[in-house]
Amino acid sequence: MERVEPLQIFPLKITRGLVQLSFLGIPSRPGMTRPLFDILNRQGIAIKHLVEGCREQATSDLLICITKEAFSRLRGELSEIRLRLQPRDFAVREPVAVVRTLGPHFDLRPGTSGLLLTALVQAGVRIYSNATTITSSSCVIPEEQVEAAERAIGKAFLIPGARRT
Amino acid sequence: MDERSKTVEIIRRVGAPEPEKISITGILKSQDLSLLLLTLPVTDDPPAAVLRLLGSHGVNIRFITLYDTSPESRLLTLCVEKESLNASLELLRSQQAALDIQSISHHPRVRIVSLYPYKERAQVVERLLTSLRLSGVEPLAVNNASSVLSCVLSSEKFQEALSCLDHVFELP
Repeated sequence: MERVEPLQIFPLKITRGLVQLSFLGIPSRPGMTRPLFDILNRQGIAIKHLVEGCREQATSDLLICITKEAFSRLRGELSEIRLRLQPRDFAVREPVAVVRTLGPHFDLRPGTSGLLLTALVQAGVRIYSNATTITSSSCVIPEEQVEAAERAIGKAFLIPGARRT
Repeated sequence: MDERSKTVEIIRRVGAPEPEKISITGILKSQDLSLLLLTLPVTDDPPAAVLRLLGSHGVNIRFITLYDTSPESRLLTLCVEKESLNASLELLRSQQAALDIQSISHHPRVRIVSLYPYKERAQVVERLLTSLRLSGVEPLAVNNASSVLSCVLSSEKFQEALSCLDHVFELP
């Protein structure tokens, strides 16, 4: 994709030391995910990244990222949560990081998301999930690939204070 | 949990005293958009290639979720302006094999409701999802940004969804 000048973004926000929990194929009934959110709320656990999707009419998928410390507190309640949510599949990925890119108007400038994902893919970064809306795009990636992701994004976008090479 | 206890649980919730409203600063509402759902293999290039293709043809993407649905496949959900739907479908179908797209489906009219500040609060997500589903409104996709929680809904159910949110969130 050809661009005359790179898009400027604000400094990246990178959150390391996270765990991603995937609950896939949860029956779509009111309150099915409530047991999970109630526990997170009760324990004051912040949701660092969230995507929910719907592949089939009767089920939904929910993926969240929480800190490792929060996950260790939640571990004892996981089997109960799984029993209540009834996902067809459940997976845990760790350690992961969330790389959040702010500013390049993802909702207004065609091609911005393509530019971001292409930069990461070309750098060999595995994107576990992505959430893009308004002026922010968050990618969940393996923690060990954070430096590669930073370099790739730094080449594709103009980051204030950073020298482009 | 068997069917009977699920019903009892729902009745208990519906009949329970209403919990306090959650204070938020605002609700953003998008115009009518279209939703595209693509199933892709689990390699990183196909989603990037789809976004490059649409971007190079001036298709503006307002919302994205991408995640693995199995060890073999992943789901890419995109909201585009509704005027771009036909062109996007045509482009994607013409490149379906080249881009390794396993399936393409769409909803022609959706809208996005965004709540802020979200502040990573589980309670906000729970209240949003449960209240919508209790009212028979099924969220089509949800994601979060730094301080915003966004939810894609069918345009036909949008007003119903807003009234439902009015019961659980308090605006200044």
